[in-house]
Amino acid sequence: MEPRPRDLGTRSEILVPYEADPSGAGPGGPVVRVRDLRMRYGDADPVLDGVSLDVAEGQVVSLIGPSGSGKSTVLRAISGLHPPDGGTVDLFVEPREMGFLFQDDALLPWRTARQNVALGLRLRGSARTEAEREADRWLARLGLAGLGPRYPRQLSGGQRKRVALAQVLALRPKLLLMDEPFASLDAIVRHHVTQDLLNWVESERIAVLLVTHDLEEAQALSDVVCLLSRGPRARISNRYAVEIPRPRNLIDARGHPAFAPLLQRIWHDLSDEVDQLGGAI
Amino acid sequence: MRAFKKAWVRQSLALLLLVALWEACSRAGLIDPFYAPPPSVVAATLYELFAGGSIWEHIAATFSAALLGLVGGLLLGALLGFGAAMAPLLADVLEPVMILLNAIPRVILAPLFIIWFGIDLGSKVALSLVLVAVLVFFSVYGGIREVDVRLVERVRTLGGGRGALLREVYVPSVTAWVMGSLKVAVGFAFTGAVVGEFVASSRGLGYLLSFAQSTYNAAQTLALIFIIMGFVLVLFALAGRLERRLLRWRYA
Ligand SMILES: Nc1ncnc2c1ncn2[C@@H]1O[C@H](COP(=O)(O)OP(=O)(O)OP(=O)(O)O)[C@@H](O)[C@H]1O
Ligand SMILES: [Mg+2]
Repeated sequence: MEPRPRDLGTRSEILVPYEADPSGAGPGGPVVRVRDLRMRYGDADPVLDGVSLDVAEGQVVSLIGPSGSGKSTVLRAISGLHPPDGGTVDLFVEPREMGFLFQDDALLPWRTARQNVALGLRLRGSARTEAEREADRWLARLGLAGLGPRYPRQLSGGQRKRVALAQVLALRPKLLLMDEPFASLDAIVRHHVTQDLLNWVESERIAVLLVTHDLEEAQALSDVVCLLSRGPRARISNRYAVEIPRPRNLIDARGHPAFAPLLQRIWHDLSDEVDQLGGAI
Repeated sequence: MRAFKKAWVRQSLALLLLVALWEACSRAGLIDPFYAPPPSVVAATLYELFAGGSIWEHIAATFSAALLGLVGGLLLGALLGFGAAMAPLLADVLEPVMILLNAIPRVILAPLFIIWFGIDLGSKVALSLVLVAVLVFFSVYGGIREVDVRLVERVRTLGGGRGALLREVYVPSVTAWVMGSLKVAVGFAFTGAVVGEFVASSRGLGYLLSFAQSTYNAAQTLALIFIIMGFVLVLFALAGRLERRLLRWRYA
């Protein structure tokens, strides 16, 4: 399939031709390409200035960086919620093939868990009963079987987060933008949900851009870890390839010989970045 | 549920006690029955009013004015509120007018409405409608402007356009706001109808009230006040049920 660039901001001039990987493994064609992105809120100094990154089909890229550096802002630019102030965002999938999991777990309070999950499907033209059946399947998959008729305020924070995840996964996105998706889950649920998601992403070859605070999680899940420098005018200060074969298992990935040395390196660089804040923590 | 029941029982008992005290004071000659006739006399007057049958015509008149004003005010207020929130130009025109109307005691418009619409139903509906519409306008206008942007962004990233945003986010969130002021609106609707009748009319509870007052008939005045109170309480209960139904996500 020839990828079609989707323009969200200023147009970019050159598009790299799509080259399918004959083995079917490894990253495929580009799904999103960000070049020299500049973002600002109001008249303040730009939050981001010169951010460039790529995510390809079947590739998981994670974005780490100090709090307030602009990680969520990168996702907002890609999703089209906030137009770029400069630079380009090229999407090679339809906007409707993009799923965005937000940092907070706000659901529509007046819709049940099932209706919340079904919403995206219905907006894509599914009939109500069909959408709700599909919603129930996703809820069950995420360990929420039977909670479909509950309203968000009748769910725990972790349950709400999983409903939000179901809402996005049910759309079977080709590009998944996730903003600290697991932060509020307890350790055991977190492990299971993360592993499930990883399996799903690997089998469907979904392109993922993951924002996280958790370095180990970033490494265990991704192919590339991008370090965003502290803002304002944040940019990607370093990229690290994670050379752990797929399919991965979260536990084994952490035990891989490449894991610990890389973790140490990234941690070192990230600490330098945070240190420049002058004891902000 | 249990606590509610208990509170309900407590409140009824307190009311009964008050009525008994009033009756006792009146019989003991502690208060002048000319000014405050004992509950038994008020009850007898109430009975006469209903037994005579002519009261129904007045109740119907007040009720239709209040209900028409309530429904019209809800519709007009909601329409203008939505309009102002969507079109900044309309907001520039409407906001000062509404703020002014909100600042004045709106019942002072009664004489004007009687000049404009005559002493029949029209002027009462108009007064009641204005009272309600201004209240609802601010609920809807404020409700839309303070809608949770996170929810708007959710629906947008799920692929929702204007129609979906309206249906999934704006209407439900505004409904919550309007429901919050529905009881006040019911009270306002009756205020408008009764005050309108009080000023000039040939029918309605307000008309009977002004008549009773001009003949210094305290028992009848009290009886009429109780009738109005009774009807407003019934409507309050209905409004409460509607609220719990429309906002069941909040009470579930
Ligand atoms: N709507 C907004 N208006 C003005 N400034 C904003 C807005 N949203 C974010 N900012 C600012 O932009 C900067 C980047 O915010 P962003 O949410 O992207 O950071 P982040 O890296 O996701 O942080 P965290 O890790 O704490 O979630 C911050 O300094 C923040 O104060
Ligand atoms: Mg963030």
